[in-house]
Amino acid sequence: MLHIYCPYCEELREEEEFSYSGEAHIARPTDPEALTDAEWGDYVFFRKNPRGLHHEMWNHAAGCRRYFNATRDTQSYEIHETYKMGEKPSVTSQGAAQ
Amino acid sequence: MSQVNRLQQGGRVDRSKPLTFTWNGKQFQGYQGDTLASAMLANGIKVVGRSFKYSRPRGIFGHGAEEANALMQLGVGKETIPNPRATQVELFNGLEASATNGWPNSDFDLMEWVGKIGGKMMPPGFYYKTFMWPEKMWMTYEKFIRKAAGYGKASLEADPDIYDKLNRHCDVMVVGAGPAGLAAALEAGRAGKRVILADEQNEFGGSLLASKQSVNGQPAAEWAEAAAAELAAMDNVVCLPRTTVFGYYDQNFLGALERRTDHEGMTAPSGSRQRIHRIRAHQVVLATGAIERPLVFANNDLPGVMLSGSVATYVNRFGVVPGNRAVVMTTNDSGYQTALDIHAAGRTVVAIVDTRHNPEGRLLDAARAAGITVKTGHAVIEAKGGKQVTDALVAPIDAAGDSVTGKPVSMSCDLIAVAGGWSPVVHLSCHTGSRPQWNDDIAAFVPGPSIQKQHLAGAIIGEYTTAGALNMGAAMGAEAAGAEAGSNYDCGDESVCPAQPMYLVPHTKSVMRAPKQFVDFQNDVTAAGITLANNEGFESIEHVKRYTAMGFGTDQGKTGNINGMAITAKNLGKTIAETGTTIFRPAYTPVTFGALGGRDIGDLLDPARHTAMHPWHVENGALFENVGQWKRPWYYPKAGETMQDTLNRECMAVRNSVGMVDASTLGKIDIQGKDAREFLNRVYTNAFSKLAPGKCRYGLMLKEDGMVFDDGVTACINDNHFVMTTTSGGAAAVMSWLEMWSQTEWPELEVYFTSVTDHWATCSFSGPNARKVLAKLCDDVDLSADAFKFMDWREGTVAGIKARIFRISFTGELAYEVNVPANQGLYMWQKIMAAGEEFGITPYGTETMHVLRAEKGYIIVGQDTDGSLTPQDCGMDWIVGKKKEFSFLGKRSFTRPDTARTDRKHLVGLKPIDPTVVIPEGSQAVADPNQPIPMDMLGHVTSSYWSECLGHGIAMGTVKNGFNMMGETVYFPQADGRVLAAEIVSPVFYDAKGERHHD
Amino acid sequence: MTSLHSPLAHVELPEAHAHAGVTLREDKFRGHLNLRGNPQDEAFTSAAEKVLGVALPTAPNSAVENDAVRVYWLCPNEWLLLVAEGAEGQTEADLRAAMEGQHIAVTDLSSGQTLINLSGENLPEVMMKSTVYDCHESNFPVGKAVQTTFAKAGATIYKCADGSYDLVIRRSFADYIFLWLKDACAEYGLAVQ
Repeated sequence: MLHIYCPYCEELREEEEFSYSGEAHIARPTDPEALTDAEWGDYVFFRKNPRGLHHEMWNHAAGCRRYFNATRDTQSYEIHETYKMGEKPSVTSQGAAQ
Repeated sequence: MSQVNRLQQGGRVDRSKPLTFTWNGKQFQGYQGDTLASAMLANGIKVVGRSFKYSRPRGIFGHGAEEANALMQLGVGKETIPNPRATQVELFNGLEASATNGWPNSDFDLMEWVGKIGGKMMPPGFYYKTFMWPEKMWMTYEKFIRKAAGYGKASLEADPDIYDKLNRHCDVMVVGAGPAGLAAALEAGRAGKRVILADEQNEFGGSLLASKQSVNGQPAAEWAEAAAAELAAMDNVVCLPRTTVFGYYDQNFLGALERRTDHEGMTAPSGSRQRIHRIRAHQVVLATGAIERPLVFANNDLPGVMLSGSVATYVNRFGVVPGNRAVVMTTNDSGYQTALDIHAAGRTVVAIVDTRHNPEGRLLDAARAAGITVKTGHAVIEAKGGKQVTDALVAPIDAAGDSVTGKPVSMSCDLIAVAGGWSPVVHLSCHTGSRPQWNDDIAAFVPGPSIQKQHLAGAIIGEYTTAGALNMGAAMGAEAAGAEAGSNYDCGDESVCPAQPMYLVPHTKSVMRAPKQFVDFQNDVTAAGITLANNEGFESIEHVKRYTAMGFGTDQGKTGNINGMAITAKNLGKTIAETGTTIFRPAYTPVTFGALGGRDIGDLLDPARHTAMHPWHVENGALFENVGQWKRPWYYPKAGETMQDTLNRECMAVRNSVGMVDASTLGKIDIQGKDAREFLNRVYTNAFSKLAPGKCRYGLMLKEDGMVFDDGVTACINDNHFVMTTTSGGAAAVMSWLEMWSQTEWPELEVYFTSVTDHWATCSFSGPNARKVLAKLCDDVDLSADAFKFMDWREGTVAGIKARIFRISFTGELAYEVNVPANQGLYMWQKIMAAGEEFGITPYGTETMHVLRAEKGYIIVGQDTDGSLTPQDCGMDWIVGKKKEFSFLGKRSFTRPDTARTDRKHLVGLKPIDPTVVIPEGSQAVADPNQPIPMDMLGHVTSSYWSECLGHGIAMGTVKNGFNMMGETVYFPQADGRVLAAEIVSPVFYDAKGERHHD
Repeated sequence: MTSLHSPLAHVELPEAHAHAGVTLREDKFRGHLNLRGNPQDEAFTSAAEKVLGVALPTAPNSAVENDAVRVYWLCPNEWLLLVAEGAEGQTEADLRAAMEGQHIAVTDLSSGQTLINLSGENLPEVMMKSTVYDCHESNFPVGKAVQTTFAKAGATIYKCADGSYDLVIRRSFADYIFLWLKDACAEYGLAVQ
């Protein structure tokens, strides 16, 4: 049972209030028709599955219903940070960015 | 039978409160404050069960969670509880206990004879070896093993008790109320923090309750009582005795099982019998103590061989000495205190057998002063006896403890107390993924680094002195509370002489030839078995564990694991640190399924969602179907009707006159904002640019892979305001889908979504007389076919209530959906039923709805589609916008080579060749029913019904390349051998021109 | 015959218990309005304040109220307005008029949810049985409003000045929540007002 800080409700809440929404920072191509099948396939089907830091999207489904991002270690389950849509992670596998 | 082993005085039992219990049908007496184990020992009961593999007699070995032998069957009938450890069962009056195994009983067991042979038949890896050859013999072996297995039986009747759960939160969670835990809780509690203190025993105090030491001059047990009382008086502290923290999960989430009434009787007088506390803690202090390690010598499983600390606990806490003549074997100073306690209780200590060659110090002096024989540099290498210990074979050993150096002598005794050192209870720390680390100083594994906000205090990290545990507990409690420790504890001289690590006691014979030297009692794993596994090439400790089944029992290797790992290390010529340890997973001790289920059973298992009209449906005899969490009327049988009779009647009512279905469960989403139209264009396949106020449009929603995800009708309220409907089961997913695109990808579009599913109640009535019914209730809307067309909606007054009326149809007939606020839904339903009475208006359920829509070839997303069909696969290319500017969700996937294939599985109509047949849903389609198995599967039947109005069965299904096979026959072989045949046809079976709903 | 039926209108009352440790009251037919808008837009916030008489709360998990309305913060651009029975229509119209031309949404949910009030000395334990949210006074002071789970449904929970809780629950889950409460309160006694 994870304990997740909702950046909109500004509180730690129990995992059962949330739903997982997959890898974060995957932008929809602006012109899908211009992509090759392989490029479109990458966007639709392929996701990272790292051992370690992972940026992922969560939805505070039973709370404020906002989507947000989390940087979570898939091995230890430690959540290093959560941040709002449109923001960048400060913890990355390259170290603390910016 | 009198309590032969009960002392006249001493201990924490109340001799003025005798309790009667039965063991294997015979009556015995114990006292208030006893555990079942202490009461059994008081009565001289030696054999409590039979072993798993060899069916050897076993006795009580420990005094707590570590107990591997004394698994009980408590109570009878529906109240029975299988497998609790007698050491953790508090005695109550009338308790009935029996052995979980042994036939005809545990004392005289026929299986023992089988076991003597069976042991040779079942070496380590028996299961794996047997699986390999001969395969079909497994069933025979398995029955034999299951029958012999030493576990209790669950009742097949419903459990009369209830179980529940509480969600708790605290600043500091202290696990274990021994000296370290009590001291920690006191500091955190005094600092004003919200504290929870849990301990598996009935009383707080742990080892202090059986200790003859003093704490700051006060007898240890008295100090513990005072500490417990102080904690109980604090508002900010929750004290949970009889509560086992069984799991430690991510981010300081803990599961704890409280046995609320187990000590009072088999069933709870009121409330729940057991309760799970789901605890979220800011800080956790683990003060779980240590478990004494047994010593591995020949026949060390005989009843009468017990852990030394457990013997001391029985003597000091329960006033029970489990033997008359004791040999104490020790590798450290702990055994001396036990010997002194037995001696002080007036029983004979035959000898203290110390494996160390040159022990010294205060306890050795005390033993000698008491006149106890001390044999240093010696070991008990073998126990002798039949159903219980009668002798100990004692021999001199070398200083390294590797070999016997002289002739063994036999010592007559009925109790061998063994003190092999201590294993910290690292289990909970392991649960969060932390690997234990070997500590050479204490010859034990201690918790490794953890990312949890976790503090360790006391024996769990090898602090075995009482004062040390108290002071460390105080320090950690204060640290967890962010405060300064305010207490300092002194317990007098606790100096000890260094211990000798000893994992396998040598014998005069080799390990493979000596009598069985048990490592894991519950799974009958021996030193020879582990050695054999190592010789067969199992080197990883995880493999050794699985191959030998070491640590697999309900005790999870609490006593045996370290010895087994050390034996493996020695066999492999490695250190224990190098071979490492297996790790422990939840649960620390077994948790009842009842408690895990809690109140999430029966009607509370899953919420049942009801519409506003639900009471009417119940009153009118509807049977219900689950649609997602909704309870929807399935059909409304009348007396004497079969289900098919009912469906025929309901269907014909709609086709010939009028029928009504409760459509309130459809998801409804209110969409507002100037970009609502553009948003709809992006998420639907078809265009919403020109949908005018007062109009509705059916839409299909796809995932980005191009597959159908949901469908529904969207109405335009005004240019900036739309109401979308979704499938009943898909409402929440669609809402999340829209929000996700709005929040993450297109925040620039000005649009808001609000779920209004529950706000609107929907009465959907259809049939040739639908207009007449509506006309009786509504006079402010022009209902004529020209003014209020199919796929129009109007706002009007129906039965005096402001309503939204949609002229849409899922039946193929003239139909209206009247939407009113749900507070008025029941009233509206009743008004329409009354108005329709003269036309024979018939309520119908989801089954009739399915038949009617299938006659029309309308799909149900999730029944006819399964996430692998595109709109084109469904024959719905007509709904795909070709000229939309924005590349709507899923569109790009249409041209992927796999999606663009023209021979994909297509959703087609299936007309049974035999008109009386209804092909079972799920039937697989094949081209040639005579093809040998495995046949080539073409697809399957997704919907299939009897159509009363057409007079034959109808079906929809997927068929590979189906659109190009119109008129051809496909076959559906059935499990019963029949082969049903159907012609591939258009799925629109009824009113193909669509004239009726336009009427 | 009344045309109105509240979500809990038909519930079967639990057997009388000598002592009611928990009391449930349905505050039926209140006006429930969902309001969406941009809190950074001064035109929006001032229009809302003008119509409602209170400023929209912007602190997470908060609520404000006056005699006419209680306003819950639901997310940074969403609020729940609770008004008197029948006042929802006028309030919606007033908001729409005051916010003409702005990017807003007002949605009537009066029939889609209901307000229940829970009180009684055993309430703390019933809340611990029912929600994973920490309802201890240090975490859930009077005036706080939290959207979370309640049993296996959702609820917006508000702590009232008298220590009781107001729960806004969805209509279709009302029967289930009542069933849950009847069970959770069985050992304390549940009274229904």
